[in-house]
Amino acid sequence: MKLTDIIATANHNLFRSKTRSILTIVAIFIGSFTIIMSNAINSGVNDYIDKQVESAGGDGYLEMMPTAIAENAMSAISGNGAVEYKENSVSAADQPYITDEQLAKARTIDGLESIDALHTASVDYIASTQTDKKYKLFNLNLVPRGDIHFDLSAGRKPDPESSAYEIALTEDFVSILGFKDNEDSIGKTITLAVPNTIDCYTAATHSECQRLVDATVVGVQAPGVLASGGPRANIALFEKVYDLASDGMSKETKNRAYQATAQVDPKRVEEIKAKLKEIGLTAMTIDDQVGMIRTFFDAILVVFNIFGGIALLAAAIGIINTLFMSVQERTREIGLMKAVGMGSGKIFLSFSTEAILLGFWGSVLGIAVSMLIGYGLNALAHATFLAELPTFNIVIFEPANMLVIILIIMIIAFIAGTAPALRAAKKNPIDALRYE
Amino acid sequence: MNTVIEAKNLTKTYGKKATAFTALKDINLKIYEGESVAIVGKSGSGKSTLMHLLALLDTPTKGTVLVDGKDSTKLSTRDLNKLRNERFGFVFQQFFMNTKDTVLENVLLPLKIARKSRKERKVLANSALKIVDLDSKARNKATDLSGGQKQRVCIARAIVNNPKIIFADEPTGNLDSATGDKITDLLFDLNENQGVTLIIVTHDEDLAKLCNRIIRISDGKIISDQTVRKDSKAKASARHEAEAARVKKANEKKGGRK
Ligand SMILES: Nc1ncnc2c1ncn2[C@@H]1O[C@H](COP(=O)(O)OP(=O)(O)OP(=O)(O)O)[C@@H](O)[C@H]1O
Ligand SMILES: [Mg+2]
Repeated sequence: MKLTDIIATANHNLFRSKTRSILTIVAIFIGSFTIIMSNAINSGVNDYIDKQVESAGGDGYLEMMPTAIAENAMSAISGNGAVEYKENSVSAADQPYITDEQLAKARTIDGLESIDALHTASVDYIASTQTDKKYKLFNLNLVPRGDIHFDLSAGRKPDPESSAYEIALTEDFVSILGFKDNEDSIGKTITLAVPNTIDCYTAATHSECQRLVDATVVGVQAPGVLASGGPRANIALFEKVYDLASDGMSKETKNRAYQATAQVDPKRVEEIKAKLKEIGLTAMTIDDQVGMIRTFFDAILVVFNIFGGIALLAAAIGIINTLFMSVQERTREIGLMKAVGMGSGKIFLSFSTEAILLGFWGSVLGIAVSMLIGYGLNALAHATFLAELPTFNIVIFEPANMLVIILIIMIIAFIAGTAPALRAAKKNPIDALRYE
Repeated sequence: MNTVIEAKNLTKTYGKKATAFTALKDINLKIYEGESVAIVGKSGSGKSTLMHLLALLDTPTKGTVLVDGKDSTKLSTRDLNKLRNERFGFVFQQFFMNTKDTVLENVLLPLKIARKSRKERKVLANSALKIVDLDSKARNKATDLSGGQKQRVCIARAIVNNPKIIFADEPTGNLDSATGDKITDLLFDLNENQGVTLIIVTHDEDLAKLCNRIIRISDGKIISDQTVRKDSKAKASARHEAEAARVKKANEKKGGRK
C-alpha cells in the first residue's frame, strides 16, 4: 500500500465510526485548545511587553538599590524566602540605603556613568487649581537621564537637565484633576504636598507639617507598562520633593540615597551588574523590571499548559480506547487484508496513521477555534477597553508555535496508538478470519 | 502438466499438550495448472485447514508447501505477501466485506495493497465487476447488496488482480441454489476460459462433481483422490446437466410444498 493510500484509507476508516472518532477528536481539541489559546495569549502579552521595552529605549539605563532591599522585595513577590546568608550580609532593616562608600566604589566601575543617587520621599497628595479635590499620590516616579523614551499622549517628556519643576501626568490624573483633556493639561500648574519628616514628629495635625511645591505639567504619558508607575517628575522636582521632606534632618541622614540610576554600555550590562553585586548593590535594567511581569505571565502559561497537558493525557487514553475498539471490530477486515497480501508493518502503519490523524484533526480543530475566538477577542478588545492601545493584541498566533503544538499532539497520538496498532499487526490472518 | 502447488508431508496440530489436536496428518498432494479441485469431507475433517495451508495463509506444524516448485518456507514474509497478493485469489464462506464501504472500494482492496495507481485500480475493479455482472452497483454501499450479490463482489475481489489460483472455501455455502449456480458458473468460466486453477472446499457433492478432481478427506487424511474428467466440453455439458437436475429438484421441492 502506498503511503498516500494508507493516509486516505485511515482517514476514511476514522469516519466510518463517526461518533466515536468525533468524540475522541473533541477530547483532543479540548487539550489543544487550552494549550494553543494560553500560548497565544502569552505571545500577545510578551509581544506587548517587548514593544513597550523597545519603545522605552534606554538600553543602557540601570537602577540600583541595596541588595538587602532587593532581596526583601523579591522574596515578597516570589514568595521564596530562602536566600542564602553570606558572611557580613546586612539585613534590610540595618541598611536600607546606599552608603557613600558604595557610591564611591560604584563610581570607579569602568563603563558605569552619570550615576544619580536618588533620595525618595513620599507625597501626600496632588492637586490643581481646576478643582477643590485632592488626590492621593502613591508613587512619584523619575524621568532619569539618558535616552529613555516614554509613550506620550500629549506634550513632551520632563527634561532631566532642566532646573524648572516639570511633571508628566498619567491619563487618569488628567481628568480627575479637572483638565478638559490631555492637551488642556499641558502648561498648567499642579501642586504636590510633601510631609516634612521632622515637623511631623511634633505637629498637632498632619496638614501642619505638609509643605507644598508647584510643578508644571509638560506631558501626559500614554497608558502602558511604564505609565503604570504613576506621574513622573524630572530630577529637579524629584530632588525638591526630597528637600521638602528632609528639611531639618542632619546632613548625614539627609544624604542617604535609597536608589541610584546610571548609564552603562548596553553590551556590558551583565558584567557591570556582577561588579555592582560585589559591592552590595542590585542593578536592574528596564528589561529586568518588565521581566518580573513576564515571569508572572509565564507562570500562568505553565499552569494552563499543565491543564492542557492533563486534558491531552485523558484524550490519549480516549485514542487508545477508540483504536482498541476499532481493532476489535475490524478483526476480520485485518485478516482479509493480511490474506490478500498486506504486511504486518503496513497494518501497524495504517492503525498508527488513524491515531495520528485523530491527533491531527483534534489539534487543527483546536487551532481553528482558537483563531476564531482569538481574532474575535482582539477585535472586541480594540473596539472597547484596548482602544487606547492599538498596538496591543491580546492573542498572537505564531505559526512556528502552532506547528510545534500540532506535531507534539500528533506524536502523543502516535504513542497512544502503538498498543492497538501492534495488536492489529500481530493478528494472524487465519485467526482473524475464523473470528466470530 | 505443470505442478502449481505441492504439499509434502503436511501435518497441522492445533493447540498444545493436553488440548493438542492434529487436524491434518501427513498430507501429500500435487495440484496441476488449470485443474479444478474439490476438497470434500465431513465438517471438522480438516478441509479448511488444508486449504489455508495450501494458500500459505497458515504455517504447517510439519511438512512444506511448494509453489511453482519453490519451497514456501524459504520465502520472506514480504515475498509471501506478494505471492498471495499477485497469484492467489480468495473467496470465503463468509463474505468478509467492509460493509460501510462501496462495492468498488471492496473490490479494489488487493490492488491498493499491490500499490497500483488510482486509475489502474478503478479500471481493473470495474472490469472485474463487469465479469460478475455487478458494474451497475459499483458505487453502492456493500450493505445494500443481497447475499448472492455480496458473494459475487467477493469473486470480483478474488479475480481483480488476475490470480493464477483461486481458493474458495464453501463459496456457495451461504446461498440458495439458484444464486449458488451463478457463482459456480462464474468460477468455472474462469477455470475454463482463463486457465485459472480452482481449489474449492465444499461439502456439496453436486458442486464437487463439477470439478475435474475430487479429493476426499476424513479425520485429517486423504481417503481418495480422483481425477474425473479432463475434457472441457464434457465438463461444461456435465455442469449444465447437473444444474438442470438441481433446478428440477428445487422446482419439485417448491411444488411439493405447495
Ligand atoms: N484454531 C484452532 N484451534 C484448535 N482447533 C482447531 C482450530 N482450527 C480448526 N481446529 C480444529 O481442526 C479441525 C478441522 O477444522 P477445519 O476448519 O479444517 O474443518 P472443516 O473440514 O473445514 O470443517 P467445516 O466443514 O465445518 O468447515 C476441527 O476439528 C477444528 O475443531
Ligand atoms: Mg471449513
